[in-house]
Amino acid sequence: MIMNYFKIAWRNLKQNKFYSIIHISGLAIGLAAAIMVLAWVQSEKSFDTFHKDYKDIYVFNAQFNINGENRVWGGVPGPLAVYSKSISEVGKLVRINSESNQTISDIDRDKILGGLTVAAVDNGFFSLFDFNVIEGQRNHLFPDVNSVVITKSMANKFFGDHNVLGKTLKYRNENFTVTGVLEDFPENSSLQYDAIFPMALYSKEFKAGGGNGDWKTIDEDLGNYSFQTFVKLHANADANKVANKFTKRYMDVRNNDPASKVEFKLQNLADMHLITPDGNKSAYRMVQVFLLVAILLLAIASINYINLSTARSLTRAKEVGVRKVVGANKKQLFFQFIIETIVLFSIALIIALVLVFLLKPFYNSVSGRHLETSFGNTSIWSTIGFALLGMLMAVSIYPAMVLSAFKPLPSLKGKIASGVGIVALRKALVVFQFAVSVILIVGTLVISSQMKHIRKMDLGYDKDYVFSVSFPIEAAKNANAIKSELEKEPSIQMVSATGIGDMSQLDSETSDLEWSGQIQGQNLLIAQASIDNNFIPTMKMQLVEGANFSGLPSDKTSYIVNETAVKEMGLNEPIVGQKIKFHNNEGTIIGVVKDFNFKSLRDPISPLLFNSNWGTQWGWGQNIFYVRTTAGEAQKTIAAVKKQYDKIATDIPFSYQFVDKQFEAKYEADTKTGNLFNFFAALTIFISCLGLLGLTTYTARVRIKEIGVRKVLGASVNNLVKLLVKDFIFLVILAILIASPIAWWLMDSWLSSYAYRIQVSWQILLLAGCSAVVIALLTVSFQAIKAAIANPIKSLRTE
Amino acid sequence: MNSMIKIKDLEKYYRTEEVQTVALNKLTFDVKEGEFVAIMGPSGCGKSTLLNIIGLLDDPDGGSFIFNGIEVAGFNERKRADLRKHNIGFVFQSFNLIDELTVYENVELPLIYTGVKPADRKKRVEEVLEKMQIMHRRNHFPQQLSGGQQQRVAVARAVVNNPKLILADEPTGNLDSSNGNDVMQLLTELNDQGTTVIMVTHSEHDAKYSHRIIRMLDGHKVTEDILV
Ligand SMILES: Nc1ncnc2c1ncn2[C@@H]1O[C@H](COP(=O)(O)OP(=O)(O)OP(=O)(O)O)[C@@H](O)[C@H]1O
Ligand SMILES: [Mg+2]
Repeated sequence: MIMNYFKIAWRNLKQNKFYSIIHISGLAIGLAAAIMVLAWVQSEKSFDTFHKDYKDIYVFNAQFNINGENRVWGGVPGPLAVYSKSISEVGKLVRINSESNQTISDIDRDKILGGLTVAAVDNGFFSLFDFNVIEGQRNHLFPDVNSVVITKSMANKFFGDHNVLGKTLKYRNENFTVTGVLEDFPENSSLQYDAIFPMALYSKEFKAGGGNGDWKTIDEDLGNYSFQTFVKLHANADANKVANKFTKRYMDVRNNDPASKVEFKLQNLADMHLITPDGNKSAYRMVQVFLLVAILLLAIASINYINLSTARSLTRAKEVGVRKVVGANKKQLFFQFIIETIVLFSIALIIALVLVFLLKPFYNSVSGRHLETSFGNTSIWSTIGFALLGMLMAVSIYPAMVLSAFKPLPSLKGKIASGVGIVALRKALVVFQFAVSVILIVGTLVISSQMKHIRKMDLGYDKDYVFSVSFPIEAAKNANAIKSELEKEPSIQMVSATGIGDMSQLDSETSDLEWSGQIQGQNLLIAQASIDNNFIPTMKMQLVEGANFSGLPSDKTSYIVNETAVKEMGLNEPIVGQKIKFHNNEGTIIGVVKDFNFKSLRDPISPLLFNSNWGTQWGWGQNIFYVRTTAGEAQKTIAAVKKQYDKIATDIPFSYQFVDKQFEAKYEADTKTGNLFNFFAALTIFISCLGLLGLTTYTARVRIKEIGVRKVLGASVNNLVKLLVKDFIFLVILAILIASPIAWWLMDSWLSSYAYRIQVSWQILLLAGCSAVVIALLTVSFQAIKAAIANPIKSLRTE
Repeated sequence: MNSMIKIKDLEKYYRTEEVQTVALNKLTFDVKEGEFVAIMGPSGCGKSTLLNIIGLLDDPDGGSFIFNGIEVAGFNERKRADLRKHNIGFVFQSFNLIDELTVYENVELPLIYTGVKPADRKKRVEEVLEKMQIMHRRNHFPQQLSGGQQQRVAVARAVVNNPKLILADEPTGNLDSSNGNDVMQLLTELNDQGTTVIMVTHSEHDAKYSHRIIRMLDGHKVTEDILV
């Protein structure tokens, strides 16, 4: 019996090629796309969850209250490690101090690798986290200060396949012995380093640098919020309570000084990737959006199947009738139709898997992820399996129920007009599909306009044709000489020496600021950067009040703040000339710079203070040069800067960064996500259209006799097309009306995570609506026109 | 001989929005096992309606219908289906073969639904196809056959389960006279072998093959011609 069902199912597929192709391609594309979306969602959600104890691991954030607003910082002071020893819920605490753009070489300086991210970590790092140690002793990776653990790919780059343990590497002019090799950090790890040094190294450097004021060791330094810090709590410990204990300990040591007020918060490791320390959930929301897209893809593909197969039940009614007359019962027919769906579904699934395989490179490049990595994760398979099963049940049961329930007599007489309920349901499903399509079209339009908006936004400075070159720290002493050498070069419009590594991510912040009129307990987290008198003109920033730095010794006690700082400090006019104390250096505000963006555009502009690097003898503060050139002369300029650079003996290879590129890179992930969304939205719409195509084709076929008769009676092609198209277009317009407010609401809330955002305008909604109508018209008219221009004699004969 | 079918005061109405049609009006008659009965009457007098009720495809609105000694008026769909598949074979004017199945598969279908084992099925189907002289077309699809051939397949399908009763609604209606005669021949042979046959027809010629002609008008029996 079962074999018979399969045979019939297969034959039915073959005999109705057109519908089979529509069914299978819709399902296959839907499945393939959904599998990929689910893989992406899974890879986003799986971040950092490969650590066995991730549920008990938390990361510290520091929350400052500024003018009633909470500001959150991802680093905390070092002494928290000391407090942790007497807080009973804490199992382990690990501090990490990471630095990007570092250079490491082998002992002979034959091989030099730049652009590395390195970290100094507390010893517990390798027991708190489950990164794979492939060589070395996991519990004893740092026998001394001059130990380093590197990743497998680093090891390969330096030493090839040879034994790596015991080899020597050079970093900051010191030698380090390789004591361990790690498997490369998994793609879904928030922590990504090339080399890991013991905390002792950072600690040593800190001491050698004289510490921070009275605080001489990292375990004492209450002022620098420089450690990304993880704790593992005992199971069932209340993270909030633990965080409060740390806050209390810290504030006790600070004598509860309101100026130092901070609250420590603990965020679970698993949330770290998708939720920023300050609670911005836009990435998390994007994942939810994608999950929804996956569900919609499956739903729409299922709806196609359900709609077309129940619509076609008209054709199959006779078969059902005959089968019942010769003895089939409802159950047997039910299973027959279920098996038909299973056969079709299986073919679609096989094609889907082939599609996924073929689209893998595309997916990898668009998403910046590796599909194979996601599939290596077992939980993805249960998710996919679950989705498939759900979909299979949805598409098989309903049509099978409808078809098997036909009464034999009317079916035989061809009197089985599908019930009113079924037709209404079909219409509702078509409306649903098109509503979803409209929402997705609005989504694509809004996302791409928002991305464009960000790219074109007036940042408050001119990011074009400016590049930065990070000179070795030794060169900072001669910053002025280098500057004047460079200024001789005609292609260079202006040069500035600064301490700013990345214009679009100025994330060095301090609360060490006092001003007159400061309310007791009011403190301010203010971004700080050292610049020279050339910086503001080089970046084409504007001063709204006062003057720029002068380049004279008096700059030492001059400060420039931005408009937001003025507002948040609550300064009264006149602002220029007011005294402030910055890191205990008293000085005067000499100017106010117009607000410009120096952070993620998701966040509003925050307070900023420029201090002058005049006469700084140590490197930080003037080793990074910003050079403004023009469109045509960029290459020449770069060559000129390189010439200066090469005069300095250094390990670090010359490299430059254009500010606009650096800016774009910040939004690359957003852009990628946007592209991915567009791609899947387009697929979803395409699948909806496939369904509509199937339905109109069928309608045209069923009405072929009517069309013939009308034609014989004198109806024009136009009349007939209208007749066939009318119903569907009505449904699509209904869908637009339903979808518009939902789309508006959804996209508005998506945009709300951006501080700088566009509005969802009625034009966008209108454009989306029109596109939906046009897409539907194109799909529907194709079959309608075909039916309408067919020879009426032919259609009348088809009985 | 035993009565296979005892019908008494059988009623059937069709209600549409405005009108109520009386399709069967207090109809009473019996059919004995092994009989060959023809039902005749003008179009719309209720012949097909009657046949559908006898065939357990439809239920009456009133009266009694005893099939093999069991009152079946009021049986639910499942019980009717069960009784039907073991006892009754149908032949329709419009053949009603399944286009997607071959001749062989169409004939095999009732056996599948009554749960006959594959080996037995093959034997039985081939036997019947042989008898209906359609064996050489066993792998063809209905559309590839002439009307007469299609009706032979339909008859083959009706008898493959060895039903006690065959119901034929204008079995020759779509056939020319020579093909029609072939089909009547087949029905007569089946009847000779003991199968009860009830046939609706408009053709006096075909009716002559039967033992008894029941003539109907407006839903009830008017006369009965006994031929044998
Ligand atoms: N499904 C139905 N709904 C409403 N009325 C019906 C239905 N089926 C049959 N009728 C009516 O019942 C009456 C009997 O119909 P039936 O089909 O039994 O006639 P018939 O004797 O078989 O006619 P013919 O010789 O034309 O086949 C007719 O008046 C018909 O219009
Ligand atoms: Mg009739």
